[in-house]
Amino acid sequence: MTESHPRRAGAPALEVRRPVPGEVTIAGLAAGGAALLLFVSEECPTSAMALRRLGPLCPAWQEAGLTSTAVFEDPLEVAVRVSRRLGWAGQVAAEDPPYTTSRDYQLVSVPTAVLVDRAGTVAGTVTGWDHAALVALIGQAETLLGAELPVPEAAEPLLKPGCSSKAAIDPELAAISAQAGSAGADGIEEMFERGWTDGLPVVPPTPERVEAMLGELDGSVCLGLVPPDMGEATLERVASCAVLAGCRPAYFPVVVAACQAALDPAFNLHGQAVTTQPAGQLVVVNGPVRDAIGLNSRMGALGPGFRANLTIGRALRLLVTLTGGAMPGKLDRATQGQMGKVGFCIAEDEEASPWEPLHVERGFRPGQSVVTLIGSDAPLSISDHRSRTPEDLAWVLAWAAASAWSTNWWPLEEPSVFVICPEHAEMFRAAGWTKHRLREFMFQAVHKPASELRRGETTPFVHAADPAAEVPKWASPEAIVLIVAGGEAGRYSAVLGPCTGMGSQIVSREVGSPWPPTT
Amino acid sequence: MAADYVSPFDDRVRAAEPLAPRPASINGRRVILLDIRKNRGAEFLDRIETLLQGAGATTARSAKEIFSKPAALALIDSIADHADLVVEALAD
Repeated sequence: MTESHPRRAGAPALEVRRPVPGEVTIAGLAAGGAALLLFVSEECPTSAMALRRLGPLCPAWQEAGLTSTAVFEDPLEVAVRVSRRLGWAGQVAAEDPPYTTSRDYQLVSVPTAVLVDRAGTVAGTVTGWDHAALVALIGQAETLLGAELPVPEAAEPLLKPGCSSKAAIDPELAAISAQAGSAGADGIEEMFERGWTDGLPVVPPTPERVEAMLGELDGSVCLGLVPPDMGEATLERVASCAVLAGCRPAYFPVVVAACQAALDPAFNLHGQAVTTQPAGQLVVVNGPVRDAIGLNSRMGALGPGFRANLTIGRALRLLVTLTGGAMPGKLDRATQGQMGKVGFCIAEDEEASPWEPLHVERGFRPGQSVVTLIGSDAPLSISDHRSRTPEDLAWVLAWAAASAWSTNWWPLEEPSVFVICPEHAEMFRAAGWTKHRLREFMFQAVHKPASELRRGETTPFVHAADPAAEVPKWASPEAIVLIVAGGEAGRYSAVLGPCTGMGSQIVSREVGSPWPPTT
Repeated sequence: MAADYVSPFDDRVRAAEPLAPRPASINGRRVILLDIRKNRGAEFLDRIETLLQGAGATTARSAKEIFSKPAALALIDSIADHADLVVEALAD
């Protein structure tokens, strides 16, 4: 429960770190007349509420002589980031385990607000969120300063218990935890503690690793702002994400090209990053760079086993999640999500394809290495081991996408990506089908009378159509994207449904193209 | 002591934008209803508009290009120039 505990005692010294140089002392903080220490923790919702509600008042308090400092029981980087996100406009400090300062202040829970007067005496303490007690505490500060201070609005909840202070955890339990290797000394565990992860272990981005990732590149160069939090994508941060993801430095030019494409406004990463849809960012790589860095386009092309594929896609997703702030369950509002949101990078098997590769279709030369970004859903595998004509096979492939996005949502404006396996591709090659012919056939094959589509979620187009009118699955043949990848044996192709309703366009960037993007 | 790492976060401290002052009454106020173009958002705004007009507000409608992108700065400026208040509708 929250209650006020005025303590007339000297305020203990602070053993904390701050994002700015210089020692922090009680005397220094209270030099203007009084100091307010707000002990908080990132994991504590009540702490977040206190930071959000009190943060905007800090500048006015500072002007009147009350210096407010949020003291986090978290790493300093976490403290800075959380403060910024929650609008805390006061000073920020962080204490490391074993949280000596919290112990010295006899903290039981966070948030705890401590008012200290100019003489360094504790004038009052409030634990948890207790609006009335906090207003009273600010009233005490007014008396100390002889000035009026703004108070937080009386918004519900007026009372909210806090969370256990990390200093209040049984030291024996903490010791056991440390022996088990979960203490900060373990770099991988520390990444989890900092929140620098997508839920899987990451490689700690030491300065040496980031420097190696950057090579000769200038880390201060900015590729753009990463939505939704509009964090600056400096090459150093992109390199940090690449290290976290497990990339080798040789992959970095591909990661950079993927980031450039993703940050093109035409791709609308903003919408994709925060949507309730499951959409991920599919990275398709074409050109000589595939073999140069070991991207797999053959057996298991959409699955695990190859470092380049798995880490390049993951680096982009970490940029969106960490630099861009699209943390699942927070600004990333995906209802269910899908595993492709961990990262999804595939390479086209241009050598097994009977057709011009994707990047050539999009205007690049065959010898160029190109990354293409497509907002897409998870893959649906399509088995067809029985078709004996290209028409039958094309019909089976096309109708597999009939339920893409939603069963009766016809026509789709956005692209469906078909990954054609080599055996299926070979049937089209043998029959002399061009990519254009296959695409046109698939487009023509999938249609239904509007009357059969008027159930549940459907489109305004269907509602407006004559009931007998045939409605195609796609608005145009161009909404069917065809690439070739997969093992030489087995007749399994796949289709990836679209990210819809966002005007997200397919965007390509040449690997090694200048930044910022010129087109 | 924590090890030194290169942060993937943009840790610039950005000042929080204060909320605009809330009016005591909407009578006589100019209110723009912003349709973000989500499905059925216009229906919701129709109802809100009727209620606002009943309370004495002058209303006008505006719309974003698409729901999934931030409003264009020109649109925000236009709303700020022509309205005392804005109502933005989510829907689905």
